[in-house]
Formats: sequence, C-alpha cells, structure tokens
Amino acid sequence: MRANDAINGLVLILLAVAMIAITSSFPAFPGQPYGPSLFPRVLGTLLIICGALLIWRGMAARRAGAGWVEMAAWTRQPWRIVSFFLMLGSLLLYILVGDTIGFIPIAMVILLALFLWFGVRPLVAVITAVAATFVIHWFFATMLRVPLPRGLLDSIL
Amino acid sequence: MDAFITAAGLVLHFDVLWVIVASAAFGMFVGAMPGLTATMATALLVPVTFFMDPVPALGAIVTATAMAIFAGDIPAALLRIPGTPASAAYADESYAMSKKGELDLNLGVNLVFSVFGGMVGVALLILCAPVLAEAAINFSSFEYFWLALLGLTCAIFMTTGDPLKGVTSLIFGLLINCVGIDPTAGFPRFTFGSVELLQGISFIPAMIGMFALSELLRGAVSVDERNVVLAQKIGNIFHGVWAVLKKYWFNFLRGSALGVFIGALPGAGADIAAWISFAISKRFSKTPEKFGTGHIEGIVDATSANNSALAAAWIPALVFGIPGDSITAIVIGVLYMKGMNPGPTVFLQNPQFIYAVFIIFVLANLLMFPLGWAAIKSAKQILRVPRNILLPIILLFCLVGSYAMTNSFYGVLIMLVLGIIGWLMEENGFPIAPAILGLVLGEMLEQNFMTSMIKADGNALMFFERPIAGVLGAVTVVIWGFMLWRGFMGRKATLAPTEPDPTGA
Repeated sequence: MRANDAINGLVLILLAVAMIAITSSFPAFPGQPYGPSLFPRVLGTLLIICGALLIWRGMAARRAGAGWVEMAAWTRQPWRIVSFFLMLGSLLLYILVGDTIGFIPIAMVILLALFLWFGVRPLVAVITAVAATFVIHWFFATMLRVPLPRGLLDSIL
Repeated sequence: MDAFITAAGLVLHFDVLWVIVASAAFGMFVGAMPGLTATMATALLVPVTFFMDPVPALGAIVTATAMAIFAGDIPAALLRIPGTPASAAYADESYAMSKKGELDLNLGVNLVFSVFGGMVGVALLILCAPVLAEAAINFSSFEYFWLALLGLTCAIFMTTGDPLKGVTSLIFGLLINCVGIDPTAGFPRFTFGSVELLQGISFIPAMIGMFALSELLRGAVSVDERNVVLAQKIGNIFHGVWAVLKKYWFNFLRGSALGVFIGALPGAGADIAAWISFAISKRFSKTPEKFGTGHIEGIVDATSANNSALAAAWIPALVFGIPGDSITAIVIGVLYMKGMNPGPTVFLQNPQFIYAVFIIFVLANLLMFPLGWAAIKSAKQILRVPRNILLPIILLFCLVGSYAMTNSFYGVLIMLVLGIIGWLMEENGFPIAPAILGLVLGEMLEQNFMTSMIKADGNALMFFERPIAGVLGAVTVVIWGFMLWRGFMGRKATLAPTEPDPTGA
C-alpha cells in the first residue's frame, strides 16, 4: 500500500502535534529550564517540518497526476491478502489467547494453518508443524529457560 | 598482553567454539536464502544470544553476519537474486559470468576475496580501534552529542534513497525512544499509565518486528514464487582464482580499503561499500566496456569491500558506541543489555573483551573458507528449501524470540505493531535502518544533549568551544547544509514538468 506523500506527511504531523500536546503536562523543575519535555518537543518540531515538506511534495505529485493511494499488484489477488493477514492474525491470536491455551497447542495450530494455506502437502504439514513446535519449545523453554505460557497443558507438563 | 591471553582463553573454549560454528552455519544458510538478509540473521540470533555470556554472544553475531555477507553472493551468481543487499551491487555481473560458463571462477573469487577482504577489515579494526579509544577517553558530552548526531547524519546521507524520508524515519525512531522514563529527570513520558511502557519500547522486539516481520509479510504475499536455479554443475571453484589475484591485486586492495573507510563511517555499511567500490572499479577500469558482460574485475572490488566494511563497522561501534551500520546498531543494543556500555572505557576496563572480538573476527574469516566451500557445494539444496515451510517457522521463531525478551506478551505486541509500521514504511519508501539507529542512539543523544544544554546553559556556542567538538560540529553542520542544498536542487528537478517523480509518490 503506497500512500501519497501528502497523506504520510499529514499522519506524521498529527502524531507530532499529539506528542507535543502531551509534553505540556510534563513537570518543569524550578531553576532548571531544560526538563523532560525539551527533547520530545525538539523532535516533534522537526517531524512537523519533515511532514510539511512531504505534504508539499505530495501535493506537487498529485498535481502531476499521481493518485492518493496506490495498492500493490498483489492486492488484486484475494488469496494473497488472506496470506498477509493470516501472518498478522497468528501473532494476534497468540497475544490474545496464548496465556489460556498455552504455547504448544497454539504454535501447532498457527504452523499447521499457515502450512496448509501456503499449499504444503497435509502429511508434510502435520509432521513439520509438530516437529518445529517441539524443537522451538525445547530450545527456548528447556535450553534458554524462557517461561513460555503452559495454558491447557499446565497440569500435564 | 595479559588481556590478550585472557581473551584467547575466553574464546578458545569448547562452548564458545561450538556456538561460533553453529552460528556460522546459520549465517551461511540465512545469507544464501534470497529474502533473508544478514540483518535479519542478526535479529533472529539476538533473542538466543541474550541468554549467553558476552563472548559467545558476540561470537555468534560476528560469525553469522560475516558468513551471511559472503553467502549472499551465492544466489546472486545462481539466480541473479542477491542473498543479502550487500551483494546487490554485483548480482547482475555475477549472473552474467555464470551464463558465460564461468560460474566456478565467480564463486571461487567471491569466496577467496570475501575472506581476504574480511581479513583486511579485521586488521584495520585491530590497529585503529585502540588508538581511537585513547583519543576518545577525553571526550565530553559535547563531543558525544556531535558524534551521535554525525552518525545519524551519515545514516541518512549514505542511504541510496530519498534523504527527506531518511530524516523522517530517523526522527520517528528517536521519538519512539522517548517513550518510557526520561534519562535526565526520571519522569515517565508517553506511558499512558501503562506499567509495561515504563521500560520503554523494548529494542529487540522492535527490531525483530521491523527487520524480520516486515520481511516475512513481504514474503507471505509472494510465497508461490519459484527459484529457477541455473542448471550448471559446480566444479573446482578455486581453479583460476590465483590468476585473478595476480591480475587484480590492486582492485582487491582498493576495494578493501574503501570498504574499511565506508564501514568505519558511522551509519554506512556493507551494502553501500559494495555499491561505491563497484562504481569506482568501473570508473577507473582500463576496460570499462567489459562491465555488464560478466567481467570479474568489479566483483573483486565489491566482494572485498563488503566483507571489509563489515569488520570496520565495529570501529565506531566499539570505540564510541556509535553504530557503523544496522548490524552494529543491534550489537550495541546487545552490549547495553549485557551491561557493557560500548565506548572508550571498555578498552581500559575490559580489554580482554575487545581482544576476544578481534580473535572471533579472525576465526570467523578463517572458518569462511571451509564453510563457504561447503555452502557453495550444497547451494542447490539450500536454494531448494521451500519458502512455504520456511516462512511460518521463522514467524514462530520471531514470536518466541520477542516473547523471550520481556517474558510477556508485551514483547510480541511491540513486534507486531512495529512490524506493521516497518512494512508500511518500506512500502512508502521510508528506509528502516535510520529508525533503528534512532531507537538505539536516542538515549545517548538525549542524555548528551541535555547534559550539554545544562552545562552550556542554553549558549549554543559552547557546543563548538572544545576543539574536537568544534570540528565534529562543523562537519555535521556542513553535511546538513550540503544535504539541504542538494535536497533543494533535487526538488526543483522533480518538479520539472517533463520529469516524472522518481519516488512515484
């Protein structure tokens, strides 16, 4: 997804203005003019300048005939869009229910779903998903002692 | 000398050597896979190295990146797709050689000159770093402020893309770094009452998101692309390399020297070194007309340059704590986490650790011969690993890696959000490396800026009063002036009605 620079610039300016607005609530220290708000404000100001230049450039491009938003070629094929969001969705799924369900079942589901969607043969997909999950779990949980969420398997493990 | 012996003892240890060999193999694989870069190799390694002692952790990163930079040459020759951006400069030339039937010679030259170039880089790292550290010991907050700013400036200036977007990306990285407790007064900024945001945006999940997840997202939408490998047999790759060395020894020296220089500049790394040295080789060649037809000359320059730049990038990283490229930016993040703040004091307090890095670099370059040979011989098998199996596994690895950094879902969330931001940035032509540099250098820049402001009491001239600070400041200001001037001239050109906007925006 390629947005016109004017849109990028506008988003950046909004972000910078919001950040500068928040800095007004930062405390000042008596006798010390340079407090925690100074650096973010300097950066915010610079970002606004960059944003303004981007808008200027984007408007020029717009006048020359460029569109507001251009989608890449792959977005015309729905299954590629699904692939894209499947990757993000897997991560979101882990964040949302990882604690209750646990790493091992979720990792297997994620891998299996992605493998099958990407066209790996079912038998290969199942074997690889199980093997990869256990190798990664062994490596991080056993070797590196990362407390991966146990979830449903809490009583068994 | 004592420190050297201690360092050798630290490195020549079974555990450390095992880690080095394993990460070398890992680096070879990642580098040789198109779409997986040396920076991504580092990003994936860091969660693992987090749990190691400093020396094996650095050993893993040094070796994996050195291998990945070389291994990027292999698919360039076989597929015309560079394995890492550092090989992009001569991918066409390499492929043209392969088509002419000189695949063996090309791969041999790439391997041998990568090793030699790497060695030149290491030699200069060993010679220069301690000398510079001695000078740097007297630096005050003014010098460090300018150095950090100069590093960030180079990062923007040296990118091949659009400087305005580079600056924007950098400021964005610096702003992300403002989240959390501020370094001078200890006030929590932009935390919105969240306890987890108090620690700031964790650097490693952020980096995994921006470098690895965004790459995976791009891979996911083109997962059905097949690699068409040249149907040539790989024979004796070392045949004829000696003749090339005899003929083009000057190109090798020039490429390596240029690589060291560009690598040592803060903010510019192996890929830029390769582009510039390839261009210079063509410019000064006696037979420039042969370039593009599968001529070895430019490859000698560029393949030496990218490996020597990799080692030289460690000079500013170790001496000043200012990254030479995105890989050393990650390394600096790792060093901070290990409680070893890079800078001249490390050379005094922990010289054995500096020597250990030197020894690992030499070992890594020696290891490149056998492992590189093995990677070339098995290149066709490596390139046949199906992407539809590889991508989901790497995704899981990113997920666990970022979880492990915070031991909570917070890390995964950071990775997810910054991964999407990174993907959007790349799509819109904003380079990612400056944002990561901003994230790494932000705290140091702010701390030195605030200290200097308080010391100078708002008097801007104080920033230039000390001689070295004055020179560094002047250089930074001159570069900025030049950039603004060039930006102004460039915009005039793009606004000309006949010329289409090169950014395509």
